[in-house]
Amino acid sequence: MKELFRGGVHPQDHKDLSRSSPLRAFDWTGEMVFPLAQHIGKPAKVIVSKGDRVLAGQCIGEADGFVSANVICSCSGTVKAIEKRRTIAGTIQECVVVDGDGLFELLPGVGEECDVYALSGEEILKKIADAGVIGLGGAGFPTRVKLSPKDPSAIRYLIANGAECEPYLCCNDQLMRSCPEEIVKGMELMLRLFPNAKGVVAIEDNKPEAIAAMKVAAASHEGIVVMPMKTKYPQGGERSLIKAVAGIDYPASMLPADVGCIVCNVGTIYASYRAVAFNEPLFRHVLTVSGEDVVSPCNLIVRDGTPFSALLEEAGGLKEGAEPKKALAGGPMMGVAVASLDVPVVKTTNALTILSVDPDEGKDGKYDPCISCGRCGSVCPNGLMPMMMMEAAENGDWERYEKKLYGLECFFCGSCSYICPAKRPLTQTFKLMKAEILAKKRAEAAGGKK
Amino acid sequence: MSNTFRLSSGPHFRDRHDTASIMKLVCISLMPATIAGVYFNGIRALIILTLCIGSAVLSEYLFDLACHKPSTIKDSSAVVTGLLLGLSLSNEVPLYQPVLGAIFAIVVAKCSFGGLGKNFINPALAGRCFLLISFGASMTRFDVDGVSSATPLALLKGGKAVNITKMFLGSSNSLIGGSILALIIGGLFLWSLDIIHTPISTSVIVSFSLMMLLFGGQGFDLRFLAAHLCGGGLMMGALFMATDYTTSPSGRTAQVIYGCIIGCLGALFRIAGSGDSFSYAIIIGNLFTPLLDMYVVPKPYAYRKSAVAARNGDKTGLSVPKPVITLTLITVLAGVALGGVYSLTKDAIDEQKRLASLASYKNVLPAAESFENVEKADLAIEDLDGEVYGKGFGRVYINEAYVGKDASGNIAGYVVNVTSMDGYDGNITLTVGLEPDGTVISIAFTHLNETPGMGMRAGEPEFRDQFNGRKVDSFVLNKGSSSGGDNSIDTVSGASTTSGAVVGAVNAALDFFRNYMKGGN
Repeated sequence: MKELFRGGVHPQDHKDLSRSSPLRAFDWTGEMVFPLAQHIGKPAKVIVSKGDRVLAGQCIGEADGFVSANVICSCSGTVKAIEKRRTIAGTIQECVVVDGDGLFELLPGVGEECDVYALSGEEILKKIADAGVIGLGGAGFPTRVKLSPKDPSAIRYLIANGAECEPYLCCNDQLMRSCPEEIVKGMELMLRLFPNAKGVVAIEDNKPEAIAAMKVAAASHEGIVVMPMKTKYPQGGERSLIKAVAGIDYPASMLPADVGCIVCNVGTIYASYRAVAFNEPLFRHVLTVSGEDVVSPCNLIVRDGTPFSALLEEAGGLKEGAEPKKALAGGPMMGVAVASLDVPVVKTTNALTILSVDPDEGKDGKYDPCISCGRCGSVCPNGLMPMMMMEAAENGDWERYEKKLYGLECFFCGSCSYICPAKRPLTQTFKLMKAEILAKKRAEAAGGKK
Repeated sequence: MSNTFRLSSGPHFRDRHDTASIMKLVCISLMPATIAGVYFNGIRALIILTLCIGSAVLSEYLFDLACHKPSTIKDSSAVVTGLLLGLSLSNEVPLYQPVLGAIFAIVVAKCSFGGLGKNFINPALAGRCFLLISFGASMTRFDVDGVSSATPLALLKGGKAVNITKMFLGSSNSLIGGSILALIIGGLFLWSLDIIHTPISTSVIVSFSLMMLLFGGQGFDLRFLAAHLCGGGLMMGALFMATDYTTSPSGRTAQVIYGCIIGCLGALFRIAGSGDSFSYAIIIGNLFTPLLDMYVVPKPYAYRKSAVAARNGDKTGLSVPKPVITLTLITVLAGVALGGVYSLTKDAIDEQKRLASLASYKNVLPAAESFENVEKADLAIEDLDGEVYGKGFGRVYINEAYVGKDASGNIAGYVVNVTSMDGYDGNITLTVGLEPDGTVISIAFTHLNETPGMGMRAGEPEFRDQFNGRKVDSFVLNKGSSSGGDNSIDTVSGASTTSGAVVGAVNAALDFFRNYMKGGN
């Protein structure tokens, strides 16, 4: 039992709603929307045009630069338009719109098994990149880039992140229970890139079935161990995991690879394995639809581009008389609220959560004063002082915020906002602060060049 | 289905605790102390507490009303302030004082600085100190079974023995919330819910104890320390007042520094000051909070030395910060050194003290060459066991009594050393020298610390010498301008409290002499 990161909170997990619902494929036919920026980095370049016939697994947007990723079509059909559409983030982005024909015809070659042992490391990385695999944990960092650190021999741990600490989410739990072999094989593939690394599967101890299944699968693989973790949010955060597994704290200015660790979501590892061993690009992944107002919460294997409204229908829709307050792409801690359900699923979407309670409702932006109880500081997994950061932010003291309080270390896990008895919008403010400070820095850098 | 959902930045989940529920938990944690206080002090304590809470809540309500602000009484913080203030008062205060204190606490200390979270000193303590300064005498009044008596702390200061068990349980504390046991139960309750800042309480108590052991003048005397820990407002201060969220710093290190400031100042005030001044120590600590919050900010985990070392592969295994080791070492060394010096010099110091007091006895009984114990008197003093002597003398204690003998061994007279707690500003200790027949030779003060120009004038011959050469059963203080009978003593003008205390002390000495010494040896 590992509990080695400090701080953290214990929100009600609500996982019982969907915990026992096995994965099932959900193939929806209709208008599929593929935003060209589903990952961190430059948006992909469109390589199809209006009227083209496309197939499931076909690349429709090509990675543009080193930190970028391919965008893959998830169904067969005709390109209806290439236009700006609203996406999860609330922004309007360039998207490829495909009219699905309901046949789900695969691109030739997709699904063909290949001999992974014959592949070199470089070939493995190329296949992962071609398949458009990005981190499915939420950030969407291109996996190929993550797996290409400066010094592969310095990597000591490859951590498969199966913590799934967000409330409501169970899709990775189900993935580990139904496909443990594939995940272990995926790890094995990745471990070939790092000669000195040990594989660790990190799972919170509220998923005993997943732990058991992964242990069975990992038993025959030397160098891969399953490590149950004490259930605590944000155990699944990259920094929390590295602290728990390797015992190392590192600042935001460093990458996990700089401290000898690579962290990949179990979903990412599964996708990488399918990409390498079966030539299957990443166009579908697991996702949880849950919420107290949802008729039958479930875990789905869903195709990218499917609208959220279809997910809710597949889960039986809303209960009668239900008045949901919020719809979230993701879980309640780090998920993003969407105004309407006509936005498409992208690669990093791991859940649609319908909340029947909105803690901010009726507050009108007003909140109680800070009583300096210090709870935010004690739950911060980074050891930051949120109450002081908030004060500095309110006072406009950016210097203190950044230099003395290390405000830019915050990765927005939301623990401080969760625990604050005055319900102050701490994390929310820190997101704005980071955006503003970085914008100011960029402006200054640009000014310096002139 | 479009645009039916609310938009806001995450997280979208909140803990069930809010400000009011935390305040309620603090109130619950104070319940054991409240119950103990009412149990030991009776219904009057309950009335005082009710008055405090009622006026605190009402004044906050009225303040908000007057300022056209939304009412903030729902957050229950005024209840906590009122309750804390009430628990830190003596059961003997006139009933208008709790009301005044609560109004001051809420209106001046809290609301006028912006209300909850904005006050710079603990409102309850501000209220208490306001009352202490305004009504010093009645605030420190302490009655046991209807008899005016000295607080255990005053006794301690006078070098008397106190009943620590009683103090711990709370039956002999000067404050309503004086049950240490009940306070500790409350503190543990808050600790189990992670509401109290334990580094503060711990550092207050530890630094106070160290200071007391090092400079308390009693060496390594655990009974003395325990009595001080159980006395006055220390435990309530350390557990419930110094830990007030708003007025204490947020960082762990800052909290320890803050706790040490309070603990050390509290000990200093107890050693060198008069009465229980722990409230002032906490208020001064409060004033350091903004400074500490500004400059003593903890670094994120990733920037701490141990984390950097771990990243560089240095596994020292020792993650105790250097300053902690250094400070502990210095404290231990200083403790050992002081303790050693104390035990080495204890006998010499005691001998010196004895000689010094003998010299003072010689002042009031010049004919004596040597002083000897009187068995009957010693037994009587032992029987008193630190209790007030007799009735009608005020809070007077008999310290020592000797028979003085001249060179040829004949009785030259008697000396009695007494302490009165009824002085205007603490205690007065004096020695009375008596002829064998009971005629007062003279009196001498060994401790007099009254108001300069007023009470202090009791030490001048004009007042002091009035006792000389008179043989009466007891002296009477003449407060009027007309000259009284042959046992009357003219009061020092403007210092009737001091004069009264001196007369009471001398009368007690005379009474003690008649009962236990006359004709002895």
